[in-house]
Amino acid sequence: MIETQDLRKEFRDGRTTKVAVDGLTLAIPPGRVTGLLGLNGAGKTTTIKILATLLRPTSGTVRVDELDPLRDPKAVRHRINLIAGGERMVYARMTGRENLWYFGQLYDVPRAVLGPRIDELLALVGLTGAAGTVVERYSRGMAQRLSIARGLINDPAYLLLDEPTLGLDAPIARDLRRVVARLAAEGKGVLLTSHYLAEVEELCGHVYVIGDGRHLTEGSPAELTARTGGHRTVRVTVPGASPEVEAAVTAFAARAGTVAGLDRAGDGALVVSVSHPGEIAGPLTMAIVGAGGTLAGLEVTEPSLEDAILALNDAAWLVTA
Amino acid sequence: MLSPPLSPHVIRATFWRTWTVTRRAYPWSYFVGTLMLGVFTVGLAHLGLAAIGGGRVAGDFVTATGSADYLGYVTVGAAAFMFVTHGVLWAGKALIQEQREGTLGALLVAPAGRLPYLLGFAAFAFTAIVLEVSVLLGCAYALGVRPAASGPGDAALAILVLGVAVFGMSLVLSAVMITAGEAHITQNSVFLAIALLSGFTFPRRYLPGVLQWLGELVPTTAAMDVLRGVFTTGAGPAPGRTAVALAVGLLYVVVGLLWLPRAERHAMERSY
Repeated sequence: MIETQDLRKEFRDGRTTKVAVDGLTLAIPPGRVTGLLGLNGAGKTTTIKILATLLRPTSGTVRVDELDPLRDPKAVRHRINLIAGGERMVYARMTGRENLWYFGQLYDVPRAVLGPRIDELLALVGLTGAAGTVVERYSRGMAQRLSIARGLINDPAYLLLDEPTLGLDAPIARDLRRVVARLAAEGKGVLLTSHYLAEVEELCGHVYVIGDGRHLTEGSPAELTARTGGHRTVRVTVPGASPEVEAAVTAFAARAGTVAGLDRAGDGALVVSVSHPGEIAGPLTMAIVGAGGTLAGLEVTEPSLEDAILALNDAAWLVTA
Repeated sequence: MLSPPLSPHVIRATFWRTWTVTRRAYPWSYFVGTLMLGVFTVGLAHLGLAAIGGGRVAGDFVTATGSADYLGYVTVGAAAFMFVTHGVLWAGKALIQEQREGTLGALLVAPAGRLPYLLGFAAFAFTAIVLEVSVLLGCAYALGVRPAASGPGDAALAILVLGVAVFGMSLVLSAVMITAGEAHITQNSVFLAIALLSGFTFPRRYLPGVLQWLGELVPTTAAMDVLRGVFTTGAGPAPGRTAVALAVGLLYVVVGLLWLPRAERHAMERSY
């Protein structure tokens, strides 16, 4: 288990001090993908760099399977690896296979293990055919996939993923999500930061939300969405709707404590949009039908983690302000 | 499994990596450049001696250096300067090159120690320098230069002493470069300083006293005295200067190794 207790990181720039991480307490257990979310500048990358032993915390503690990275950095580095989507992290003038071999040496992977593992990882990220090509001839997506293979070269117990799908094409990002889910299922602890909240929602069993370096809340994606009062959005298409239907929808929304959006589609049909935390699709359609309207389409959008994160960030910003 | 501090496989792997990358980056231009450097260094000294000195050196020069062979003096100095600058550059710029290439984080998060990694670069640098110096010495030989040598053991000791000085300087320079986040100004300043202070192309006694004293703080200065004793005068390495060169060189190694982890963290913090 990776655990942090009251983690704090300050950066000094001349006379000014910026607090990037402020009292963060996290747990990243084996066998689960743990999410770390927050807007830009929230302290996610700084936190990951501290866990990866690249930065020292100003105060607070980090333990990786009871090991202290400040006292046993090498032992900790054998158990972890870092994949950062924003950085290439592989050598441009070496081939894919040469890169993996070199990093295998840096991680002291035994020769008998390294060869088969390189083949396995190249297959995993779909680069077997490009294994002998120098990386400077790779596309960005290929280099990123190689970087992912590099992050697995030491078969780490914990994988720190900082925006791993940044810049990847959708099918490759989907394949990577499958790989991450499989790694967690095999028992690895994974910490994931991503701007693609659908990705976090799909993969993470537990999510920490931070803002300005501080812990805002935590829970499963479903819990976070529910806790922040996420709204379902109901969209109903009503062809040839009369003014009575519009009036009935407006009155219904007012009774429910919300406002209805009324738009006209290209064919003249009325498109009604109502957002509300409760189950309102049934009562809304009954109100429309009751006023003489007919339904041509009904769509219910569940509240998303993105809505929840935005709501949390706004709330934190309001408190800070 | 934890790596030993001087992991030979990391030294070998880093040597191989640097060799492979250099061969791909400069398939032939690197060696042409090296050849030209050797030809120009000795060739210009030869022309200068003929045009300005009429083929002879002043008596004062003989007193200062213990030799009347100006071309031999220049050849040893130029070969040593090539050894120092290229050695310091290869190992000293290794980490800042990683930073520029976006691989520094991947390197630092790996458990391999920095010492074997940099020794891998130093081993590559030594191999490349042997090639470069051989070209330079070949050019000098063609012009009739015959450097003195007090024996193969002394020659090996002199090269070892210079190697320690170069490796120590490269460690410190590496820490300075990644702390400052730039390489160009740092390396040029250092090269200008050592060219002036360490007596590569002229006797140090021509310098003002303060600069002679400052020169003692640079490990290549005493190492050059050892080299001169072996290859210019043929008298052999002076034990006192050999001890000073090793002591100052090893001090730089220790300072560099202690400073590097802080410098690496500083580099990481700069990009937070």
